[in-house]
Amino acid sequence: MSARWGMVIDLDRCTGCQACVVACQAENNIPINTEDIFHQRRAIEWIRVERYWEGEYPNVKARYIPIPCMHCAQAPCESVCPVYATYQTNQGINMQIYNRCIGTRYCAVNCPWHVRFFNYWEPKWPESLKHQLNPHVSVRSRGVMEKCTFCVQRIVRTEQQAQVDGREVQDGEFTTACAQACPTDAIVFGDLDDPESRVGQMAADTDRGYQLLSGLGTDPAVLYLKKIDPDAPEENGHY
Amino acid sequence: MRRFMRPLIVGLVLLILLALPVTAVLARSYFLSPTWQPAAEQPIAFPHTRHAQVAQLDCEYCHRGVAEDGYAGMPALELCMDCHQSIQTGSAEIDTLIDYFENGDPVNWERVHQMPDHVHFVHSSHVNYGFDCAECHGDMETEIDYAEQVRDLRMGDCIDCHKEYGAPTDCSVCHY
Repeated sequence: MSARWGMVIDLDRCTGCQACVVACQAENNIPINTEDIFHQRRAIEWIRVERYWEGEYPNVKARYIPIPCMHCAQAPCESVCPVYATYQTNQGINMQIYNRCIGTRYCAVNCPWHVRFFNYWEPKWPESLKHQLNPHVSVRSRGVMEKCTFCVQRIVRTEQQAQVDGREVQDGEFTTACAQACPTDAIVFGDLDDPESRVGQMAADTDRGYQLLSGLGTDPAVLYLKKIDPDAPEENGHY
Repeated sequence: MRRFMRPLIVGLVLLILLALPVTAVLARSYFLSPTWQPAAEQPIAFPHTRHAQVAQLDCEYCHRGVAEDGYAGMPALELCMDCHQSIQTGSAEIDTLIDYFENGDPVNWERVHQMPDHVHFVHSSHVNYGFDCAECHGDMETEIDYAEQVRDLRMGDCIDCHKEYGAPTDCSVCHY
């Protein structure tokens, strides 16, 4: 029960294919974003892939970085909620409690990564998609915030199954939707506190790990592994 | 006399105006308690006691998912027909059942325990902890014939029980 869930995202493996984004939308009952909604900057994407161009033509390189919620240990979004609708679980997940949220949107303002989303409208799906909603995830109504939960429904289910079987949760027994869909295995999910787990080992062994906006001191639970660029100038003997 | 009657009357009217919504809210939460609601009428009047007491069937014989899954589950018509192709044929209710079976239609049972979408109750962890079904569903063996909600099962009820048994009261245990 004392796991600290976290993620390692290897940017050297990420191809920017957006499979994680689609998998997340399907798993977590996220309403469909239209072009119009994007232009209004009201799209809901619990994980998004940002693209950057690097270098001058003709030596241009595309850089991709998938950005889910960082699940900070010292989360700036939590302290500003007037109704305690967002809080840190004892497993390091930054949870949003929909039925408690009154929609002040302070948390979204205070999140430096812009990974909190507000339901400006009642969610709608075309008739053909209504029966594909995930029954293990609430459909959020208008007026509440929502965000990446590290697929907490999968965590809870696995824990309950382990409890029924009378054993501990195994590493790799389940994973988040984004990690499951990633064709290059760039996203790895697991218990950061377990030195035997895959994420624990990756985090311990790497010398290219960094946290996004780590200078803010929020201690994110998502660790990025820097892209290996053969053309990059060498700095301090590293890549 | 008149001079202080007016503020008194205004005060009284204001008090009544304020008290009305408060009473309405309190009455609403009292009368909207799930146990106050009449049980929905089912397409087939299924008598629980006759099956559980007379026929000595275990709850899990029909609600098979209860120990392994979040949902207790409803039995397939084939399971009913196992017995009822020979037992009690000729009665009106069983004829309805046979009609459903022969037409290949599912029975649209009415949901008795209504939970909001943001509440995730899991049967298996409660049953495996050792709770008797009767703890929440009442004595379906001897007392309650037709399924109805006997326990409040609103959040206060859940939290009280969780505290009593030392179960987690973390929001994300039920709400996600």
